[in-house]
Amino acid sequence: MSASTVLGIERELAELRDAASAPGQAPNQRTSVMTHLAWVPEKWEDAAEKTLAGLAEQHPSRTILLFPRPDDDDELDMDASVQCFAFGDRAVCAEVIRVRLCGARSRHPASVVVPLLIADLPVFVRWRGMPAFDEVFDEIVDVVDRLIVDSTEWPDGKLEHGYRELAQRFDRTVISDIAWERTERWRRELAGAWPFDAREISVTATRAQALLIAGWLRSRLGHSVAVEHEPADVVMSVYVDGKAIEAPPGEPPPPSELLSDQLERFTRDPVYEAAVRAAAD
Amino acid sequence: MTATAEQQQNPLLQGLRLRRKPEPCVLVIFGASGDLTMRKLMPALYSLAMRRLLPDRFAIVGAARSDESDDEFRERMKEAVQKYARDEFRDDVWEGLASAMYYSTLDFSDAAGEDRLAQRLTEVDRAHSTEGNRVYYFAVPPSAIGTLVEEIAKRRSAEGWIRLIVEKPFGRDLASARELNTRIAEHFGEGEVFRIDHYLGKETVQNMLALRFANGIFEPIWNRQFIDHVQITVAESMGIEGRAAFYEQSGAVRDIFQNHLLQLVAISAMEPPIDFTADSVRNEKVKVLKALHTPGPKSVARGQYGRGFVEGQEVPGYREEEGVDPGSMTETFVAAKLYVDNWRWADTPFYVRMGKRLARRETTIAIQFKSAPHPPFEEASTEGLKPNVLVVHVQPDEGVSLAIGAKVPGAGMTIRNVHMDFLYGGAFRTGLPEAYERLILDAMLGEQTLFTRTDEVEEQWSLVDAIIAAWRRDRPAFPNYAAGTWGPVSADDLIARDGRSWRRN
Repeated sequence: MSASTVLGIERELAELRDAASAPGQAPNQRTSVMTHLAWVPEKWEDAAEKTLAGLAEQHPSRTILLFPRPDDDDELDMDASVQCFAFGDRAVCAEVIRVRLCGARSRHPASVVVPLLIADLPVFVRWRGMPAFDEVFDEIVDVVDRLIVDSTEWPDGKLEHGYRELAQRFDRTVISDIAWERTERWRRELAGAWPFDAREISVTATRAQALLIAGWLRSRLGHSVAVEHEPADVVMSVYVDGKAIEAPPGEPPPPSELLSDQLERFTRDPVYEAAVRAAAD
Repeated sequence: MTATAEQQQNPLLQGLRLRRKPEPCVLVIFGASGDLTMRKLMPALYSLAMRRLLPDRFAIVGAARSDESDDEFRERMKEAVQKYARDEFRDDVWEGLASAMYYSTLDFSDAAGEDRLAQRLTEVDRAHSTEGNRVYYFAVPPSAIGTLVEEIAKRRSAEGWIRLIVEKPFGRDLASARELNTRIAEHFGEGEVFRIDHYLGKETVQNMLALRFANGIFEPIWNRQFIDHVQITVAESMGIEGRAAFYEQSGAVRDIFQNHLLQLVAISAMEPPIDFTADSVRNEKVKVLKALHTPGPKSVARGQYGRGFVEGQEVPGYREEEGVDPGSMTETFVAAKLYVDNWRWADTPFYVRMGKRLARRETTIAIQFKSAPHPPFEEASTEGLKPNVLVVHVQPDEGVSLAIGAKVPGAGMTIRNVHMDFLYGGAFRTGLPEAYERLILDAMLGEQTLFTRTDEVEEQWSLVDAIIAAWRRDRPAFPNYAAGTWGPVSADDLIARDGRSWRRN
């Protein structure tokens, strides 16, 4: 079942919630702790759905997946589903709304999103891939409480530009980067290994992570830090002035856990913001 | 060095979330062969290990009378974790924990045994670099604690810190609690003593503090002007589960009322603390306990269960349980009306009841508000409408519900009660940690907010002693309630005399 209006989708959700309750039983509980938006260009659809599967049970919320299709004919197409999780003798239900923004409709997403937000609860957006940092992006930035990106998803050659653009928006909304979060275990080890001079570092990781670690050291230590980068999918090693930093214990957390962690934080992180500014230098 | 001082010196620490990870230490469990160790302590330690919350350098030494090798102890603990832990069993997590787990046979009254244990601890310290830091967990009867504390003090080295975790019951009356406090205080400071009341480790009990003090709407009406009365229920459907020797000595008043129940009263009635530090919170709780009284013997009812049915199955009466005296006068149920004599609560009754073999397992704090002063509706339209009740469900179905009156859809004006529920696990689906996980971790961190202080324990015993003294003057006809019901008629009478009734009766 799909709808092309916000009213239609609200009606559909109410029907789905009713249908999910067993006849004669207590009605299922609709539970929300936030509105979770995801901006999902075509190439990121599979990854977004996988993360959502790991996330929905942990953070019952209204999730709105926005699929921009600027090259299609003008159309707004929405469908809704209700995900219920057993809880004692009842079920707790969260809502997922998939919105396909086709043609010109993709240029003003806020006008679709705003009427679907749950009042009085925080709004998070996970922006998949590299934002264009255009009016469309800024429309969304202005309606959310927190923007979450993963700069590992950005092209290596555009990272510095992307960080400069992000830095310009730090005063408009709270921003965080999953690539930065993935470096936390290593930053903890680096903090444990301090004092050191750190005039040059060598990082085997994604380029985004190498730049962010270097930016962090520059901003914290207050001097320039040259960075040498070896590509890898995750942070494999960090050398400071030629000396290896001990690898952190345990396994890195999965993507849904990283995002889940972000959704529990509400305030600006000045250390991250300084690292991003320094990473763009 | 404090975290803040360290952060000031190390520029890289700022912004990193400093995990609540304790310093290296050895956890010594006295009573390692007991039920508590198997059902609660070891599963809690496993869950902490799974979440990487234990210290990086950590070891466990179990001590008990029975002869057992390290390997046998590990095997028994492994089975306990597999049976009772809330998390799936993972070999890698278990191996990490078990590799630093040891056992020491110890007769609590034997000084040579204490020497052997001390020697073992020194070896464990060396093997795991635990720096002489020790957490001693006394999962033993109160009578054994004094001697153990003295033996530990005698062998205390200059190196490292010591923390003592003492299980309830802390004494069996005011005199014995004071004696135990004095014996401990001869050797250890209050900051080294962690008296466990595991109810305080429950998420929903802590949520009561969040509900009251993190929301602006409740505190203004949380007083005698708006609240008619408070009902606190700690009900268990199970019997004494083979613990006859313990229960015959304690009864419901010492087992539940003296500790869990009075803590729930204190948390419900306390004034807002200025912060969430141990002393601020405990100062406010102790003020409530000091102000508590029962208005006389008729305001306390006691009961003992007889044969009956629980969930359709016939169960024996208390006196028929194995190990129980057939003429036992031990109470398995207590109900009481309490008053908190202060500005906020004067004349507002706190009705409390707790017992075994009741109709269902339930721990709730119900705040019943006064009725609307002048409902403008016809009498028939509000027939059966009850006043607003805010219920904190401590267990099971952890959460909060508010009963409100709402119009029944359709022509006319009929108003009925409806419940708005917040299910704790429905909104935060991370799995509630067991109380012992939080409490063991807090003790390792030296954080005492969720542990009871000397004066709290003594105030609790003062009230219990007064109740028990009155009981000596009469001999009720036990058993006086059937298993699977809500307790004796005298409990209903107690509240009915005030024109009120127990919830769900």
